Amino acid sequence: MNRNLLRILAALVAVAAVALPAFAGAYPLQVARNVILYMALAITWDMLLRSGQISFGIAGLFGLGAYASVLGVLRAGMSPLLSIAFAGAFAGLAALLIGFLILRLRAIYFSIVTLALAEIFRIVIQNLHDFTGGPEGLVLDGVILGGSASGLYWLTLAGLAVALGASWWFEKSKFHFALTAIRNNETAAKSSGIDIFRWLLATFVITSVIQGFLGGIYGQSYGFATPDSVFDANFTLLPLAMALLGGIHSTVGPIFGAVLLGLAAEWLKLQIPYGHLVVYGVIIIIVILFIPGGLYGLIKKANRASEGRKA
Amino acid sequence: MTTLRTEGLTRRFQGLVAVKDLSFHLDAGEILGIIGPNGAGKTTFINLVSGITMPSSGRVEYKGRDITYMPAHERARIGIARTYQLIHPLENLTVIENVMIGSVFSRGKSLKEARRSAEAICAELELDRLDRDTAKLSMLEIKKMEIARALANEPEALFLDEVMAGLNSDETKQVIGTVQRIAAERNLAVGVVEHVMGVIRELTQRVIVLEAGELIAEGPYEKVSKDPRVIEAYLGGAA
Repeated sequence: MNRNLLRILAALVAVAAVALPAFAGAYPLQVARNVILYMALAITWDMLLRSGQISFGIAGLFGLGAYASVLGVLRAGMSPLLSIAFAGAFAGLAALLIGFLILRLRAIYFSIVTLALAEIFRIVIQNLHDFTGGPEGLVLDGVILGGSASGLYWLTLAGLAVALGASWWFEKSKFHFALTAIRNNETAAKSSGIDIFRWLLATFVITSVIQGFLGGIYGQSYGFATPDSVFDANFTLLPLAMALLGGIHSTVGPIFGAVLLGLAAEWLKLQIPYGHLVVYGVIIIIVILFIPGGLYGLIKKANRASEGRKA
Repeated sequence: MTTLRTEGLTRRFQGLVAVKDLSFHLDAGEILGIIGPNGAGKTTFINLVSGITMPSSGRVEYKGRDITYMPAHERARIGIARTYQLIHPLENLTVIENVMIGSVFSRGKSLKEARRSAEAICAELELDRLDRDTAKLSMLEIKKMEIARALANEPEALFLDEVMAGLNSDETKQVIGTVQRIAAERNLAVGVVEHVMGVIRELTQRVIVLEAGELIAEGPYEKVSKDPRVIEAYLGGAA
């Protein structure tokens, strides 16, 4: 496929995504909102993965953002939209402080610490009864945008646009070079003048800002936050599975993966209630074992093979 | 002019002393051979000078400035570049992108400027078809790419760790010529670790010999190669 055709196709998909509320009912819109939210999270997870760091902390920063936003409205009297921006800033600040401590860690040590952090956030918030409402959480007086289905959809779509924009910027800027070099060989990266810690910290903070921002959107869209809902491990596991299935180290991969797995999950939920997570697990295992590059990786490989035949 | 100097440089790994009390200097415009049997501490020495490993004691000076504990990425920025014995070309990056990295981060150039200077360096090294995947490069092309990447840092001191290994004799000759040319044109201070003595003889003006982390001889290759201590080090005292 040539580049212009792809551009036109992408533009059409974008227009269709924005126009969806005009021809979709409440249920499909709700499904689309979910898919879009997970897609955005999957993209942010992949952005950090491009440096070789595997985070299991998405749910932690997402939940932190959701609480920051709900608390911003309830305790500081922020407008809902402002509270979403505040959620991003708060998660980013948290990531900056945490990053200083944990970004010296690598591989499984980094992953485990991020997993633990998400759990620590949940436990701390759950135990600050007076401020956060404890296990029962907090409920807002109303939902943002009056709870309009298309409004909430567009809000989530805006969250995706931020994630996509950041990911695209990473691919086109010095981030691409720095993160790829760090992933491949840190020693060689240093010898090319790359300040590894600084680039990892920047990436961790930026992806956390977006995850917190998405958490804020989520909190405002449902009008409440409880420890169990916003720190749900699914906010870590589903984006991870989507990125793996679609193809890591790219923007396009997580998009594919989110659409496929998101729609499959909705369908499976109806077929085998509560059993759909098992199917998820099986898909992750199959992808890791047999198609480590994901679906986008397969496409790229096929593309390269056909170019090879032409040459 | 002395570009780089060490004094009493020592590095211990647990019980093992990999580099011991090593003092040396490397001058602008000079190509220095760093030789010694396997495990003599040659690579550790380059790691110490380029900041990949920090010394246990001693001192490293670059153009009169103490850089003993300066991190590697800062050393790359002030002008110390190196290649690696085990090369890992960066996957997912093309040849030109691999070379650009040094310009982008050591020199802080924009991607556009970095591409332009990387193209010039590749042309100088006769490296072409720059948009290729690195997986398809020949050994000679990989070596050239490594040298190009180091040069993109615009260094004043350059260390080449076994850059000729894996090349046939024609290719080796070609790379020797290239290294001599770039060193002369840029007035570089070059340190070369190499196992093939023919390469050392042709390429270098001066040689230091390491054995078990210690400097045991220094001088022009012709003189050093006749030194009984050096011969003994290489033949393990059997001669």
